[in-house]
Amino acid sequence: MRNSRKTFLAAAAGAATAAAGFGTPILGRAAEPVNIGGLYPVTGQLGQIGQGCVNAAKLAVQMVNDAGGIKSLGGAKLNLVLSDIQSDPTVTRTETDRLIGSNKLSAIHGCYASALTLIASEVAERAKVPLITGSSSDQLNAGGRKFTFTPFARASQFAQAQLQMSKLISDKPKVAVVYENTAFGTSTSSGLKEQAPGEGVDIVMFEPYSAGFTDAGPLVNKVRASGATMLFCVSYLNDLILIVRAMKQTGANLPINGGSGGFVIPDFYKNVGASAEGLLGVAHWNHDIDANAQRVNAVYQKQFGEFLFEYAGGLVAQTFMLANALERAASTDPEKVRNALATIDVSSGYAAMAPGGKVKFMDNGRNVYGHPVGVQWQHGDLVSVFPKSEARKPLLKA
Amino acid sequence: MLATLAQAVVNGLLIGGIYALVSIGVTLIFGVVKIVNFAQGEFLMIGMYLSFFLATRAGMDPLLSLVIVMPVMFLIGMAFQHVLIRRVLGLGDMPQIFLTFALSVLLMNVALLLFTANYRTVQTPYTDAAVHIGAVYISVAKLIAFVLAMVFSGALTLFLQSTDIGKAMRAAAQNRDVAMLMGINTDLVFAVAVGLALALAGAAGALLMPFYPVYPAVGQVFVLMAFVAVVLGTLGNVTGALIAGLMMGVAESLGIQFVGADSGLIVVFAMLLLTLAIRPSGLFGGRAR
Repeated sequence: MRNSRKTFLAAAAGAATAAAGFGTPILGRAAEPVNIGGLYPVTGQLGQIGQGCVNAAKLAVQMVNDAGGIKSLGGAKLNLVLSDIQSDPTVTRTETDRLIGSNKLSAIHGCYASALTLIASEVAERAKVPLITGSSSDQLNAGGRKFTFTPFARASQFAQAQLQMSKLISDKPKVAVVYENTAFGTSTSSGLKEQAPGEGVDIVMFEPYSAGFTDAGPLVNKVRASGATMLFCVSYLNDLILIVRAMKQTGANLPINGGSGGFVIPDFYKNVGASAEGLLGVAHWNHDIDANAQRVNAVYQKQFGEFLFEYAGGLVAQTFMLANALERAASTDPEKVRNALATIDVSSGYAAMAPGGKVKFMDNGRNVYGHPVGVQWQHGDLVSVFPKSEARKPLLKA
Repeated sequence: MLATLAQAVVNGLLIGGIYALVSIGVTLIFGVVKIVNFAQGEFLMIGMYLSFFLATRAGMDPLLSLVIVMPVMFLIGMAFQHVLIRRVLGLGDMPQIFLTFALSVLLMNVALLLFTANYRTVQTPYTDAAVHIGAVYISVAKLIAFVLAMVFSGALTLFLQSTDIGKAMRAAAQNRDVAMLMGINTDLVFAVAVGLALALAGAAGALLMPFYPVYPAVGQVFVLMAFVAVVLGTLGNVTGALIAGLMMGVAESLGIQFVGADSGLIVVFAMLLLTLAIRPSGLFGGRAR
């Protein structure tokens, strides 16, 4: 009799533990950590940017943990489980699978490049683990996705912002668009072309070019002849450097908007040097948008010697959004975390550290308030200049 | 309109000088050693990295770095001939093609491993400088590169025409066996030829460095144009490669200016095919064997 009672008690305790989730402390034992997966390309073509993302992800987890972890889970600490997806789609698929399969993950974030994030998102949807990402492809909000969350501006919003920014230069902007003639360039530039009339922007030149040219001179020659007052480049870094230099040499002082991606990372300035001064771009995050961003940036800059770039900064905010969801879910179960994330509604603190300052998701995982911020290189730093609500410094005119 | 045309021609000539330098290297190796060096672009890449590191670590101007880059590349070339090419001579085309092709892939990937895929640039006082002649502007860095490219090409021609080893080189190019019978040390002659070709690739790299970013695959960008110039200017013909290199630069520039910015290569390759249809052995094929 005594014996069976003991067995019953043990079983009941076990059931209670299971019901309460893994992170619940039992009889004063330290709370079990909450596993968060991080998928970034630390090697391969995107290696350097991926490493920056990992640095920021670690910093963010440390910030959450130093602030007492997840209180509703007994102060459980976040535990970052990293995986190198090697800038490769196939590796991304297998690594996402492996990471989810071999760890009890509550959520995942990744993967910098939209092409890679789309793959990870597919895997996460199937495994019913929430994925939060700064990648901008509109496809991440399509196809009835339930577990994918995108707190920042979408690709389609970038084109609009870029067009609106040209109004900072003149009331009736005449824009030359040059774009590299593969998928990236053609899709981005067609977005610009479609939205230009609606924004009152006159596109006077719309010219594809073959990426990896040896000399930007002829292309720049053409831009000068077009009578444009502003130049949009949808280019890879290599071509952009050549275009910027050739523009300088011709003495054509056209303002250049280089869009997003490789244009808004510290490496760009290192490579282009003083010629980068005054160049414009668009980003989904910038390190000067609010006091919290500036604070994190200061810590990051001290630790890694360069400013907190767009994707990495957004990543810090995302980690706090996850912490917010975990807090409310009071569970490490990925589906419960997903439900808590779907109902997030923040307008202060690190979780709201995004252009617009608020996060609330629509059914398709898109942030209601998400919008891009226009940036400009000024004295070696990337500063926000657009829209008015986000502008931290006035536009530097050439 | 006239200014635009003049500008397009100037742009084309300036970059054509670099094409010429790379293609002269390819054509020299082919003419003398009878092997197509697919790794010539990667040697240009090595030249660029050498120049880059001399500039960033030792504060040496890329143009000054020529005095180090060219001899170093010359020695690498002699070793390349002695250790690798020599082994496959006389084995037929396939081993030769795969030797240089494999070397190209290997060098590119080693560079990727060592230096990552990042673009690196050197900022010199003349990088962004330009001189304006009327409505036409000329980039100072490119002008210097062009002038030096012409000087090196001229020096090579002079060397081939008037020095003993230059003559021996031409003799070995005409008939290796007879040259050996005449007492020419073909091993040495071949090694010098490959050395010179690599020194030119290195020179092209150092000359590019003030205005072009270096990255592991940079050689591929230039080597494609160089090969077209080599064929257009008749395989093995140094002067032909020089003139064809300049022509290609101008054709590409005019194509971009007047056909479309993604049509530069279309014009270049149309020109190549047209030339081959009319003169199968290239523009200067009269005396070629």
